[in-house]
Amino acid sequence: MIDVENLCKDYVLKSKEPGLKGAMKGLVKPNHKIIHAVKDLSFHIDTGEIVGFIGPNGAGKSTTIKMMSGILTPTQGQVLIDGRNISKHRKEVVKDIGVVFGQRSQLNWDLRLGESFELLKHIYQINQKEYDKILDELDQILGIKELLDKPVRQMSLGQRVKGDLVASMIHSPKVLFLDEPTIGLDVSAKYALRKFIKEINKVRHTTVILTTHDLGDIQELCERLIVINNGVLMEDGNLSEIVDRIAPYKTLVVEYYDEVAPEHTRCKLIAQDGNVAKYRFMKNDVTAAEIIADLSKEKTIKDVSIEETGIDDIIKIVYGA
Amino acid sequence: MVRFFKELGHYLDVTVHVIKMAFMTIIEYPSNIAGWLISNPLQFIMGFAIIKFVVESFGQINGWTYGQLAFLYGLSVISHALSMIFFVQGWFMGYFVIEGEFDRYLTRPLGVLYQFFFTNINIFGITDLIPGILVFIYGCVKCHVVVSPLFVIQIIIMLVGATFIRGGIYILLGSTSFHTRSAVDFGQYTQEIMDKTTMYPLSMYPESMQFILTYLIPIGWVSFYPVSSLLGVEAKFSGLVIPFVTLAVGFIVMLIAGAYFNFGLRKYESAGN
Repeated sequence: MIDVENLCKDYVLKSKEPGLKGAMKGLVKPNHKIIHAVKDLSFHIDTGEIVGFIGPNGAGKSTTIKMMSGILTPTQGQVLIDGRNISKHRKEVVKDIGVVFGQRSQLNWDLRLGESFELLKHIYQINQKEYDKILDELDQILGIKELLDKPVRQMSLGQRVKGDLVASMIHSPKVLFLDEPTIGLDVSAKYALRKFIKEINKVRHTTVILTTHDLGDIQELCERLIVINNGVLMEDGNLSEIVDRIAPYKTLVVEYYDEVAPEHTRCKLIAQDGNVAKYRFMKNDVTAAEIIADLSKEKTIKDVSIEETGIDDIIKIVYGA
Repeated sequence: MVRFFKELGHYLDVTVHVIKMAFMTIIEYPSNIAGWLISNPLQFIMGFAIIKFVVESFGQINGWTYGQLAFLYGLSVISHALSMIFFVQGWFMGYFVIEGEFDRYLTRPLGVLYQFFFTNINIFGITDLIPGILVFIYGCVKCHVVVSPLFVIQIIIMLVGATFIRGGIYILLGSTSFHTRSAVDFGQYTQEIMDKTTMYPLSMYPESMQFILTYLIPIGWVSFYPVSSLLGVEAKFSGLVIPFVTLAVGFIVMLIAGAYFNFGLRKYESAGN
């Protein structure tokens, strides 16, 4: 479905020295610095996948998704959608993609919501029968019809995102790109958006590619994660695989009756706070039961619990926090 | 060939719909209409009143009579109005570049420049068109112009060309934003220069200015040369083909502008969310 081959994007940054003197110097002798926002990215995405791009701000996620959707021209490499290069055959290829970019709306601010959809109907040359059918279908998932007559400027953010989702799907694209779609949404709007993504993926087999910082989005939606940092692909795989690879350990929390915590040879005492001690152990190496058994021989244990490594730990590790 | 007509049909269909939407938007904010209807025509009627005053005080401007000046002024305002309807967005291109507003056009299966201009078509430009047509008709009457089919064709051809020249210049200036990444609005300056050089005879200006405005920045072809040839006043260039030269110049300016725009678009950086 989508092939990304050796994708690179460079930006030229004019670095300036401080003050008026620096500004003058920059004018006479500009100091150009090339920023490699995306470096040699390659991956393949199959039809019907939901892929989440994660990485810190400025990691190159948005740049990548914008090259994949034909907005930015790659410095090197190419993006093929169904075998066609999107930057060379933009007008043809974009018929197969839908795009929702954060809070940037493609709806007409001044008019009722329905007019924005009507315009898209003409732009994508959708016949009336097909248009009615898709609108019915999307209405069942999102309840959009009650909003059709409302002017977009009077809508809440949640309603506008619903409108944008419908606008992006009205021509039945094969691929849907979402750049931080849940940003600023309340719980119920987030829920509606996730349900929408799951439904269109299940019913229409739409391939979905999204960037997000929201752990809920990742856990709910993404079977596959692509982790990007500093423009480089760090990890690619499903959530549990990545967890096993980046953080193949669990944390055992033990509460004793006093403040002396014993050490253990096969795990590491990583923190101690009063009566509570935290041990980190490798999942493949030893089981929690063995460690508890050994520790209880040395000290009387009051309580134990196990902390699984989750997506938030992965993000902390990748983001370097 | 079939594909070409299919595509043309597609663009026409979208254009008709977009114009409908533009009218809907105007109706959405009715109080704006009154303001525009009063201020826009007034601006040009006043401008023309000044010409009338000058001509009545001094007789003629460079051998141009009052009627001939009305003819020139009217046509200049008409092509200005047409460029306002179709191409005024060019003035704000910098804003679109900086704010990443081209994203949505790039993800739709139509030409980017077409969408940029036509999905923002400025129907209010009609308010400029009305005074232009009135002054032009007045000029025709004063000059005792014989309205033949050939005359009508020449006027239409030169107006299309003139609108293209103006539009092309807006695009060229706007496209610099792709490289400078600043949202400077060139509209005010452009209009000042265009008004002063197309509403009055170009021969008022020094030779060097005339040269620049004929060959380098071909503003002279917007109204001065075609009108002087049509009316036979100070005709430096004359003949039936002159309106077609305006059209050709319009096409050339548009082609260069389009190429420069597309070159800039490759450097388009969008904007962070």
